Amino acid sequence: MDSTYAPLLRVAGLRVAYRTAGGARVSALRSLDLEVAEREVVGVLGASGSGKSSLTQAVLRMLPRNAEVEGQISFRRQEILTAGSRELRNLRGGEIALISQEPALALNPVLSIGRQIDDVLNAHRSLSSQSRKEKFQLMLRDVGFPDPDRILRAYPHQLSGGQRQRAAIAQALICGPSLLMADEPLSALDTVTQAEILDLLTRLKSQMNLAMIFITHNAGVLSALADRIVVLRDGEPIASGSLPQLRLSSDPYVRGLLCPQKNLFSSSAKPASSRGAGSRDECSAQPILRVRNLSKSFVQKKVFGRKAFSVRALDQVEFALEAGTTTAIIGRSGSGKSTLARCIAGFEKPDTGSVEIHAKEAEKSSRAVQLIFQDAGSALNPRFTALDVVAEPMLISGQLNAADRKRRALHLMAEVGLDPESHLRKALEFSGGQRQRLAVARALAANPQLLIMDESLAGLDLPLQAQMLRLLLDLQSLHGLSYLYISHDLNFISLFAENVIVMDQGRIVEDLPVSMLAQSSHPATQALVAAGERVHAAGVEVAQ
Amino acid sequence: MITYLLRRIGHGILLLFGVSLLLFFLQQAAPADFLTDMRLNSQISDQTMAALRAQYGLDQSVPVRYLHWVKSSIRGDLGISFAYNVPVSGLIWPRIQHTVLLTGPALFISWLIAVPLGVLAAANRKPWIDRLFAGSTSLFLSVPDILLALLALLLALSSGKFPAGGMSSSSSSTAIASSHVRDVMWHMLLPVTALIIGSLAPILRQVRSSVMEVMDTTYFRAAEGHGLGRFTLLFRHALQAAANPLITLFGTSIATLLSTSLLIEVIMSWPGMGPLFLESIQARDLFVVIGSVMFITVFLLAGNLIADILLFVLDPRIADPRIADPRTRVDA
Repeated sequence: MDSTYAPLLRVAGLRVAYRTAGGARVSALRSLDLEVAEREVVGVLGASGSGKSSLTQAVLRMLPRNAEVEGQISFRRQEILTAGSRELRNLRGGEIALISQEPALALNPVLSIGRQIDDVLNAHRSLSSQSRKEKFQLMLRDVGFPDPDRILRAYPHQLSGGQRQRAAIAQALICGPSLLMADEPLSALDTVTQAEILDLLTRLKSQMNLAMIFITHNAGVLSALADRIVVLRDGEPIASGSLPQLRLSSDPYVRGLLCPQKNLFSSSAKPASSRGAGSRDECSAQPILRVRNLSKSFVQKKVFGRKAFSVRALDQVEFALEAGTTTAIIGRSGSGKSTLARCIAGFEKPDTGSVEIHAKEAEKSSRAVQLIFQDAGSALNPRFTALDVVAEPMLISGQLNAADRKRRALHLMAEVGLDPESHLRKALEFSGGQRQRLAVARALAANPQLLIMDESLAGLDLPLQAQMLRLLLDLQSLHGLSYLYISHDLNFISLFAENVIVMDQGRIVEDLPVSMLAQSSHPATQALVAAGERVHAAGVEVAQ
Repeated sequence: MITYLLRRIGHGILLLFGVSLLLFFLQQAAPADFLTDMRLNSQISDQTMAALRAQYGLDQSVPVRYLHWVKSSIRGDLGISFAYNVPVSGLIWPRIQHTVLLTGPALFISWLIAVPLGVLAAANRKPWIDRLFAGSTSLFLSVPDILLALLALLLALSSGKFPAGGMSSSSSSTAIASSHVRDVMWHMLLPVTALIIGSLAPILRQVRSSVMEVMDTTYFRAAEGHGLGRFTLLFRHALQAAANPLITLFGTSIATLLSTSLLIEVIMSWPGMGPLFLESIQARDLFVVIGSVMFITVFLLAGNLIADILLFVLDPRIADPRIADPRTRVDA
């Protein structure tokens, strides 16, 4: 037996920096040391921009051209940074496998799943077609496909998000690697699917004796899976240990990642539970929003034929929203929640039914409803300055002159926590969180009474989500706003909303106060609650 | 698929009708006709002129003449040439074959060169390769086709080694078949080369940029991360995913190649559509002009149709009606 300890993967003094077009160097990782033993799962936790993704790319030597790398990475004592292209190819996929964030983007759209898995197998093993076939069957069953043959023939667009991630996992593991690197493998999936994939990875880990590097910004998913967690900030490891050990940390950054809710309550904002019933009585006389019997179908023409497909996106949806309250609409992807939001905001015309705002037809008071999208980066015109963005609704309504518009825009920027001095910067020069603030300021510029947020916080990492939530609660009490928050995720809703509407297959299956959520007997609700607890174990724990 | 094809062909026929109508009425706006030059000749009497006009049908109104032409087209004649006094289709058909003899190989060879070269240029991103690629393609893009044709002619004349025009040597048509084929191929060499050089640059650029775009995608990076070989990576994963804009370009490249070919044929006196088209325009030989334009239109339509069929066959997403809808996927 070899007495000297040799880890599976050893990263020593790894530095990664990117040269920018202007000649500057941006550091992504500074002196990272990391060891992964055989069969060990190491969670890497960090906010966005902490250098998590540079780590996986450096290990596979797939950093972009403008990256500079220093340090040592060895896999079973084989140096990776100096390996020849042939050795490197054998490591990639053969010994070290990668699954990435977006299952929708990680598979080639024009090649069948079978072709893509076969290519990986062919690159590393020379097997007869018969034994390859057997391997496929086994692998696809292992990742939870009951009928492998159909999946092998299918193209990525024919699979759901969860199925694609399963296929990508099968592709990564087909050659039996010893180390799996998973870069945010759950963040693009809905909560129920997240829980399923997490279970799958846990099972495969012990079944295939896998070591793992699991990269995420969500501490909850690591609680069941990771033996050890390394917390990254600005490219440096600032803490490591098991989840219970890290919970004892006093570092505000670590605490912010592990339990963002704590940050939330340290502010002036009050949690939903304490706002509660009192305010509801005052406002219940007249609902701000009343949706009656709303139905919407999408007819989709077949590209080269006569047959048309009809999809029922909304099926007789009815609910009312009281002024000054927050309601969350949750449901799996494809349950019709976004269509509902678009109908209320007037982007889609419903087939039947009506949307009333303050008992008026929605079309006549469209400015009272504002919609904030998930991705502020693409929802803002990149050529506009911050001032242009915020002032545009006022320009359209035409009630203020230029000087007043500017004064109000700067005021709104300050209100959402942006520096008014930066009003001449272009929208794209702001960070993700700042852009979402800008989107909120723009929505407020129209003097809305109802803000619809379609997964508006989902693109942000947890500490930023907490900050945004605090801001939204402050703005709600300041302007008497009503919120309709749309999400597939139960993460923050329990703190944020008074009411939860659960949607499934275009219908409202339940409409209940958030405190009753756990007692619900409806299967769709139960699935969401169970998955939420599974994925956000850390978060839900703190909330209770 | 079949219904789609039939519908596209139906559209094509309608389009041809439109083109022919437009041509008929446009030529009416022209200030002269086939007999204008003859009218200036004082030896021809007015009666003879009137008789000739009646013979060619030029005394009738445009709608009547159009109807006559349509009838003749249905018979397969496409009208009678004024100048040669034979059915237009018989005049055009051998010329079309000659033109296809140039454009067909040129199309095939230029894509055969451009695709691997473009993929390699996309995969090997070294500064000097990038500069060489940008420089050479810009150079070839900026050379006008007519200059290329003249250069080819100059090469033939100055070297004396290549045939300077025509499709075969006068002696070879009587010789045995195999040497005749070799002779025709020898004559094809310069015009086809000029055509390839003229059409290569835009294809190369499109191949390179499409493949480069795919190489930036997550799925390509993922495939790279799975340790696939370079050849599989580039020519299966990248090229196939990059194929859509290339197929569309293939359809339109048929059209551009055809127009370049007409020009080169005129300069190198290749007996294709080019010289006939030019001559019929100069002589105002109405039905030959219309027939030529109709055939060129057919080529363009066929090019686009081929591109659409290829897209349909190669991209699994196009044929699938469920693509935009998550709830009709295989299973959920």
